[in-house]
Amino acid sequence: MFRIRMHGRGGQGIKTASQILGSAAFNSGFQAQDFPLYSAERRGAPIVAFTRISEDAILERGPIVVPDLLLIGDETLLESPQAAPLCGSDESTVIFINSEKKPEELQKHYSLSKLPLQWNLTELCIQYLNHGMLLSTALAATGARLIGTISLQALLKAVESELGAQGIPKKALEKNHELAQTIFLDLPSTTFPARQPADLQANSLIVMEQKGIRDASPLIFATGNMALRKTGDWRIQRPEIDYSHCNKCLICYARCPDGAIRVNADDHPEIDYDHCKGCMICAQECPGHFINTVREAGAES
Amino acid sequence: MTAFVNPYKKIKDLHPKEAISPGTGLCAGCGGLEGLRLAMKELGENVLICNAAGCFTLLSVYPFTPLKSSWLYTTMGAPVPAAQGVRDALDIRMAHKGLSNDENLLVMAVAGDGSSNDIGLGATSAALHRKLDFIYFCYDNEAYGNTGFQLSAASPLGSATQTAPTTKVHPAGAESFKQDLFEIWKAQEPTYIATVSPREPVDLSNKFAKAKTLQGPRMFICMSPCPTGWGYDPKESNLIAKLAVDTGIFPIKEYFEGKVVHTKPPKKRLPVEQFLERQKRFRHLFEPERRDDIIALIQQHVDEYWRRYE
Repeated sequence: MFRIRMHGRGGQGIKTASQILGSAAFNSGFQAQDFPLYSAERRGAPIVAFTRISEDAILERGPIVVPDLLLIGDETLLESPQAAPLCGSDESTVIFINSEKKPEELQKHYSLSKLPLQWNLTELCIQYLNHGMLLSTALAATGARLIGTISLQALLKAVESELGAQGIPKKALEKNHELAQTIFLDLPSTTFPARQPADLQANSLIVMEQKGIRDASPLIFATGNMALRKTGDWRIQRPEIDYSHCNKCLICYARCPDGAIRVNADDHPEIDYDHCKGCMICAQECPGHFINTVREAGAES
Repeated sequence: MTAFVNPYKKIKDLHPKEAISPGTGLCAGCGGLEGLRLAMKELGENVLICNAAGCFTLLSVYPFTPLKSSWLYTTMGAPVPAAQGVRDALDIRMAHKGLSNDENLLVMAVAGDGSSNDIGLGATSAALHRKLDFIYFCYDNEAYGNTGFQLSAASPLGSATQTAPTTKVHPAGAESFKQDLFEIWKAQEPTYIATVSPREPVDLSNKFAKAKTLQGPRMFICMSPCPTGWGYDPKESNLIAKLAVDTGIFPIKEYFEGKVVHTKPPKKRLPVEQFLERQKRFRHLFEPERRDDIIALIQQHVDEYWRRYE
């Protein structure tokens, strides 16, 4: 059995990527299983999706703890303790990272125990789909190529069936096909180290006991403590105010849904990068276009 | 009664204090959160929010809350009964139990369009009948957004939702016009009703400032563009909200002392398709072939509305 785990953020097409990869494997004659895992949070928050591929019936259920292939669509997740995309990977796990950095640089920057595979999928997505963070096709094509036993034809068929099911226009589908083909043909192949099959470990049963009503109803006595949670790592893009031109109109401040833009002492707007989710409304709404959009991984921090 | 003078003229005047901290798990670019944030800036901290299950469930996630005010979580149908209970408890304690009047709170129900139009409408109607002294904030993203965007009575004709997708038999997706909650509420003559949009922060703030001075039921419908459910890039949230106003699809108005006044009427109404074509939920009206019949039906509905006022 081949276990693939994908990491990304809500809205990047990670769930769809796992579906395309599963369908592509199925089209190539394998049995497949795919499913996403996310919490109540959504667009921008970390999500995980899984694909299991096997020649025989797949009886295993639940999240993949030790993946054979780890596809990381969003590099910023590597620094998020909440997402912890490397969790459970071992020396046999092949790690792929979508990044503009070179593998050696990635290894050094994120203190990885081994050299990852790397390809700049975002740039390809911009080139083909005119949007850098629609990774569904790109990540599935990467997975299909790296696994090596899935045919290009099966992949293209899966792209069509999965994206078609979402009602994507014909022109966009063609672009996705071209993108899948480019990645499939250009990406270098890889070999997977052999893995010792480990027996599944069963956890001991947890007996739930009934608690008193006081314990069961959560009370919060602090106010406004949500700020302790940092949503800044949701960002794919970062707004940067060009203070040399900013005329303090404060439209960005009024329009920020999260209240992540404050007014500083000299009446300038100031972005709270710990919490800014990168919706980019401010950049869109600034009347003079004095807020720049910078891709997060390359932004100066 | 002396006429209420709007305290705000421009964006720089807005109340400087935030009553909601950042860090919530709501989607990036959430139009509803923007509306609530501006409303709470005006209402301040001495508020008790009775929050119906919905997207805003994510406001407070144990052990965190973004609010400077109090928050009580209820089922989807029960924010208004909860508000009634809280209001009564406060009144009784102030009258008989020695609770100081300084500790009085403004009671506020916060609910989505599903709760407001479908599940909780009966209880709201009963509270309007009793003239409950509270503020009602409905964030209207025109479907059950929290569970994956299913049809509600607020979903407009022609929009595709999870439970009303576009099919051969039902090419329009949702086949009923959006329920007119404003008129339903108005029939019971509450003290104040207003529709607000995060696109018009000054208008929104003025309306909440006004509501704060009044007694009895004060009802708000806040247009809440939803990048996730409506299918557009989050950065366009305000653009979509603007087009909803400029096409006349979402009239910004208030009802006070028996009169309906449009506070931000569109100067020259744009064709509705400018609003529709930017959203994935209406894509089937344009692709694979244009459904002029359905677009015309939507336009006609908007025209009929404005004919009554223009």
